[in-house]
Amino acid sequence: MPRSALLLSASLALLTAACSPAPSGPRLTVAINAGVEGEALKQAARDYQPASGVRMEIVELPYSSLFEKAMLDLDSRTGAYDVIMMDDPWFPRLASGEKLIALDPLYEKAGAAGPDPDFIPTSLRLCRDPYPGGRLYGLPYVGNSQFFFYRRDLFERHGLAAPATWDQVLAAARRIAGAEKGVYGYVMRAAPGNAAVADFMPVLWSFGADLLGPDGAPRLDRPEAAEALRFMIELGKWTPPGYVSFNADEVNAHLLQSTAAMSINWPSWISAMDDPSKSRVVGKIAYAPMPGQREPGRAATGNWLLGIPAGSKNVEAAFTFLRWATDRPQMRVAAQRGCPPTRRSVFQDPELVGKFRAFPVQLQSLETARPRPRTPDWNEIENVFGVYVSKANAGSASVGEALERAQAEIAAIQRRARGR
Amino acid sequence: MTARRSEAGWLAWTAPALLVLGALSIYPLLFAVEISLRTAGGYGLDHFRRLAADRLFLVSLGQTLLYTAAALALEFALGLALALLVNREFRLRRLVRAVLLIPMLLPPVVVAVLWRLILNPEFGVLNGTLRGWGLETRGLTWVAAENTALLSVILVDVWQWTPFLFLLLLAGLQGLPVEPFEAAVVDGASRWQVFRRLTLPMLRPVIAIAVLLRGMDLLRVFDQIFILTQGGPGFATETVTLYIYRTAFRFHNFGYAAAMSFVLLAATTTVARAFLRLLRQQPA
Repeated sequence: MPRSALLLSASLALLTAACSPAPSGPRLTVAINAGVEGEALKQAARDYQPASGVRMEIVELPYSSLFEKAMLDLDSRTGAYDVIMMDDPWFPRLASGEKLIALDPLYEKAGAAGPDPDFIPTSLRLCRDPYPGGRLYGLPYVGNSQFFFYRRDLFERHGLAAPATWDQVLAAARRIAGAEKGVYGYVMRAAPGNAAVADFMPVLWSFGADLLGPDGAPRLDRPEAAEALRFMIELGKWTPPGYVSFNADEVNAHLLQSTAAMSINWPSWISAMDDPSKSRVVGKIAYAPMPGQREPGRAATGNWLLGIPAGSKNVEAAFTFLRWATDRPQMRVAAQRGCPPTRRSVFQDPELVGKFRAFPVQLQSLETARPRPRTPDWNEIENVFGVYVSKANAGSASVGEALERAQAEIAAIQRRARGR
Repeated sequence: MTARRSEAGWLAWTAPALLVLGALSIYPLLFAVEISLRTAGGYGLDHFRRLAADRLFLVSLGQTLLYTAAALALEFALGLALALLVNREFRLRRLVRAVLLIPMLLPPVVVAVLWRLILNPEFGVLNGTLRGWGLETRGLTWVAAENTALLSVILVDVWQWTPFLFLLLLAGLQGLPVEPFEAAVVDGASRWQVFRRLTLPMLRPVIAIAVLLRGMDLLRVFDQIFILTQGGPGFATETVTLYIYRTAFRFHNFGYAAAMSFVLLAATTTVARAFLRLLRQQPA
């Protein structure tokens, strides 16, 4: 019996030895989105190491697994990460239930009143829970918001001004598609989920409608919502066929190949438009704020935020890194590397404006942009809404039917969430 | 004394394997059962009741079964036809056999990305070729149209996995004894009679295994559809596995996802048992 106990404990020891971490000095583990949005932070984390003496460990994760890993880490407080990068629609879910460290006490401890007023308010508000005035659980790092891309050369040739309303967008799309061979007037994406919803929200808002009302209940039963969806489908007639399965890649393939004249788009695609190795439209794309209709046009935000998981064992070191990375000099360096800032002063820096010609429009869009609804159940609501927006565009559900079903499903999601 | 010692030794030597099995298989399974029954107030069948009323789940279950049945039928028919063709001596036989297996050797994700490009309505090779033949392709958007999306993902599956059935069935054919076939020819049996009365019945066990393996795999299809359509357009190609993935990892509702997994498991087991029973019956 003693012999078997010995063997048993030996095998157990072998198993656990493989799992225990090696002892080390100060170290921060940063979970970063693998993609253009994470590139600047990755480089910043590398730069931080020699200056601070803190060992930086970078974990790069593709978009959807970043959310999954962050969620699991926060739920079970593993302490695997000290800093996580979050897409802003995820934030209400990740911040709920004290899963992230509140930053206000840390600022107080450091003798500072809070983030300085140079941060763009739209971006900073995204880091508060409940939105927009609650406690601060993060700092904004990437100042993404949508704005409008259009072909300046085609607009000039047909005597069209930059579109200020969706009606003007539709008219320009008709005009250009009718006159230019091989060019579609518009391009959008209506693949179910994030794609369809992100492209539809600005239209929905500009028609005076909304997905959720001020009380948080769905309000897709209003006539304005139906009007907005009907308009999207009309615009779809001037979009390349198959757009109900398009994502950002297809939208931008059409713009880069010069086969579409306009679209809603994101900052990460700007550099490709003027890159001769990828683009047939170098210098021909102009940028404008989001068109309006009944209401002034407003883009959706897609900021990337930095937060500290409650399970982190290096909260203070993580907070120091957060402040360093989002401070003006570092954000300027990040902007040089192509990361849209979240500080007004960096957006207005003359040298940067000279280098990035879309900066003024980006700033204007971001300052007036709105987040997608701030609810912990956003992923589920977006999924269902996306399915029905996509179905309506594909013609397999009528506008009324699609909105009615979406309304009912969203209400059911909320009922279940309340019961949880 | 010796008996007890050897028993204890047996326990010690198998402990690592048992620990790994317990930690990686048995514990997660029990945990899944537990969370599928956990509710806000304690334990109950809430998740399963919600499933019965969840339109999206029922649609995805129906689509999964349709996908499995259609892809399996096509893959079996084509795989058997190819196996019969290659099951004789001809020049370049080895080469043909190797080439036929290529699709199966590619990772499903790669296949899906390739087909996404091939099926692109504007830039894709398929519509490009059709246009070259003078056909109108404007309405042909394959994975992007509600009425062709499911068909398209089925055809991609057929392209990739027919070789799997081909391979198993060919191995089965080559393992058959020669004598009965020679005797049949001597007796003047027609080719159809040989196929119907000899080949098929003798191949029965191999067919059973091949169809069963592929069928179970089809029921849990994920990668190709995730890349090709993400379940769209609308809900046209959503399968149970996609819905489970979304529920667990995007909506973070592991209990409901576990309940769906058990329903899928029950469906897989039922189909497999029914199929095996069918095959065990003697041919009429």
